[in-house]
Amino acid sequence: MLEVRELVATYGPVKALDGVSLEVPAGKITAVIGANGAGKTTLLRTVSGLVQARSGSVLLEGADITKTPVEEMVRRGMAHVPEGRGVIAELTIEENLRLGGLWRKGADLEQEMEGVYEQFPSLDSRRKRTAHTLSGGERQMLVVGRALLAKPKLLLLDEPSLGLAPLVVSQIFHLIRDLVDRTGLAVLLVEQNAKSALAIADTGVVLNLGKVVATDDAKALAGDEQLRHAYLGF
Amino acid sequence: MTSSTPESSAGPDARSGVTAQDDAPSGGKTTTTPEVSASPAPEPKGPRITSTLLKHSLLMLLAFVGIAVLLETVSPFRGSQLAAMAYYVPVVAGLTVLTGLNGQISLGHGALMAVGAYVTALMLETESPLPYLVILVASVIATALVGVVVGAAASRLHGPYLAGATLALAVGLPGLALYFADTLGGEEGIRVSPPSAPAWVEDVAFFITGNTMSGTKYLGYLGWVLALFVLLLLSNLVRSRYGRLWRAVRDDEIAAELAGINLGRTRVLAFVVSAAAAGVGGSLLAIVTRLAGPTSFTIVLSIFLLVAIVIGGLGSLLGAVLGSALLVFLVPFVTNVGLDAGLSSSQAANIAPLSFGVVLIVVMLAAPQGVVGTIRLKYLTRQASRSPRAQGG
Amino acid sequence: MQQFVNLTLNGVILGAVYAAFALTLVLIFRATRIINFGQGAQAMFTTYIALTLIERGFSYWLAFLAALVSGFVIGAVVERVIVRPVETGPEINAVIVTLGVFVSFIALAAILFGNTVQSFPAPFALRGISVGEVNVAITPNDIYRLVAVLIAMVLLLTLFRFTSLGLQLRAAAFGQEVARLLGVRVSRMLTLGWAMAGLFGSLAGILIASGSLVFPNYMDGIVVFGFVAAVLGGLDSFIGAVVGGTVLGLVTTYVAGYVDASLVTLAALAILVTVLLLKPGGLFSSSVARKV
Repeated sequence: MLEVRELVATYGPVKALDGVSLEVPAGKITAVIGANGAGKTTLLRTVSGLVQARSGSVLLEGADITKTPVEEMVRRGMAHVPEGRGVIAELTIEENLRLGGLWRKGADLEQEMEGVYEQFPSLDSRRKRTAHTLSGGERQMLVVGRALLAKPKLLLLDEPSLGLAPLVVSQIFHLIRDLVDRTGLAVLLVEQNAKSALAIADTGVVLNLGKVVATDDAKALAGDEQLRHAYLGF
Repeated sequence: MTSSTPESSAGPDARSGVTAQDDAPSGGKTTTTPEVSASPAPEPKGPRITSTLLKHSLLMLLAFVGIAVLLETVSPFRGSQLAAMAYYVPVVAGLTVLTGLNGQISLGHGALMAVGAYVTALMLETESPLPYLVILVASVIATALVGVVVGAAASRLHGPYLAGATLALAVGLPGLALYFADTLGGEEGIRVSPPSAPAWVEDVAFFITGNTMSGTKYLGYLGWVLALFVLLLLSNLVRSRYGRLWRAVRDDEIAAELAGINLGRTRVLAFVVSAAAAGVGGSLLAIVTRLAGPTSFTIVLSIFLLVAIVIGGLGSLLGAVLGSALLVFLVPFVTNVGLDAGLSSSQAANIAPLSFGVVLIVVMLAAPQGVVGTIRLKYLTRQASRSPRAQGG
Repeated sequence: MQQFVNLTLNGVILGAVYAAFALTLVLIFRATRIINFGQGAQAMFTTYIALTLIERGFSYWLAFLAALVSGFVIGAVVERVIVRPVETGPEINAVIVTLGVFVSFIALAAILFGNTVQSFPAPFALRGISVGEVNVAITPNDIYRLVAVLIAMVLLLTLFRFTSLGLQLRAAAFGQEVARLLGVRVSRMLTLGWAMAGLFGSLAGILIASGSLVFPNYMDGIVVFGFVAAVLGGLDSFIGAVVGGTVLGLVTTYVAGYVDASLVTLAALAILVTVLLLKPGGLFSSSVARKV
């Protein structure tokens, strides 16, 4: 589904991504993990186009999207849930959701929105209220629901567990796993919480200072004590 | 050793301390970090204040001599233009300090000039007016007091809010002249009879130049003596502790506050200083143009002042002088171009504001540091890129 | 009492026009976080375009339409060409640029259309109407102004609240980056915001001009009043702009009526300073803390 080849991204003189290569197959969760500042968020931002790559390429279903403007990505089937969740607090819950399906028409969208409400009842009861009243976990649900409304083929998730209680984290991760198994969605998951991420992922990619230091089956990585101590802190 | 391009290496500045230059704030902030330890500091000067004062005083003296030569030799028309420049320089310089150094934008300095002008006009109206210097001091004090009030309000506002508030002041203050039409002369304003040259000045002038001192020429001298004096004071303030405080507040409020700097007081001080300078300018305007009236202080004036400091480079006193020159000499030049091109006189009169508006836009888009500021910035970056090489990397 | 009623009515009508202008400032501020000091001058320019058409024999309404369309276009062009480069970066740059726009348009209008005061026709009668035996100081022209502004506001509100485009505009204004990720063409939304502001500004300009006098500086005061009204309402809020405009219309009319017309701007300044120092977010601000 997604192929990243030798991607280089810079902030001024600093190389945030130094030749990163990875693959995200359909129907699988690929977790990108590593310490703070390893370049994980930059990776997602470069893939979706918020940051321009210095060199290297990004291919979505074989098509080169390295230079495609970020606004096009949703139409191409890529949804990116950014760091900090990206809830627009001044808009209502319903309006936030509706933004997910901007390019889809009609009754179809309404039905699916209802589906999201069914899945997240706490959002349902407060549809018309502005989103700033939501808790962290509810916001995460909102933005995932919103991302899915675009019917993406690839979902980029940036640190969904940030600031959430373990129970909520587990809820959300299982939700994602379930989705992937049911629909064949491809997920690129960036996480600080390596343990939880590796538990639901298929493949793990470890980043350190902008370089990939390990790519392996998620279970294998979780079992590699040396690696865990060196790069993941557990 | 690879040669570093000036843009990429903003290495430690060779000169020590932050006082060395009036770095312009807007458009890519290139804050030259004062890493004194990294470069061999130049020989430590004595009490810095004294030597700076001396240097600047000499500069002003030289400038005065230059101006005197000009005033004696040019035509009366040019002489009056030079006199006009004299009343712009203090205001523009003060505004440069306020906006460039301290980051507060003000559209109200035209109104502040008006305060100075009206006080001067009123005091000169009396039967036996006080000596002009006394009147000037009174005008400056009055304007400074207004500056305290406005500055106190302004210190809490930033950017567009400050601009809007001072714009309202500029548009609204002339209304007072209309409301108190009896004392303040209403639409037409107050006629001003300028002070005439004292006997000793006439004698000295005749002795040195052999020319008689006309009334207008005397005003040119008077204006420039005062303008240069204001420049002297300001240039010293800029290099002093206060200049550093103002820059600190402009560049990073939070850091400044953490360092114990009182934001409000620092800002008000900058405002009052610039207001006092505007008071000088206003007083000079009253005696040079022989009028203090609302038509002299429209919003266009405030915008012209802004143009002067933008072109000059926000924060450069030299730029302020250049900007003033541009205001005075470019306006009639541009108007004449219009007249020659066949425009009516009222149309040609608008070429100047049109060009100034375009200049404001173009300069902000292309060279946000202003003309002088851009040149200075290039000079500094080239200096900075040289110094690491000088120390062998 | 009669005077009070008349002043109040006139204040409300004037307030409607100030509200329309304040709305333009809010539109732009929400889109790009900039205050367009040149808005009044742009509106004045389009009013002159309308006047030129009327002088050539076209109907008032055609000229009216032309003013709105040219306002839309000019707004879009100004954003794209002049303001876009300074939208990020220090705010002082944007302030200076919009002031440049302000001065340039006024000077250009003076050159192209002349400096003299001209009268602009009114589409409706200019004599006060009588209700029974009482002569109210409201003219049909005044009612036209009020109705025009109300219609425009309703249309604007409908656009923003109930259309997909409106949603995108708001998303672009409140969460630029997220909006881009969701496929909103933020850059186009910014231009559209300015274009709509231009249209609204032209509406305000031509309503003020209708039945009154025009000269290149005639909108200068409006910029100040519109700004104060917008700040009073909290620059983020449409309703705030409406309330702010009405308050300002009333205050300026009362001051002009009971005290003196020359002190009107100073009264507005007093309001401005009070609001900025006491409640900087305005009366209706939606954002939590406003840094003024």
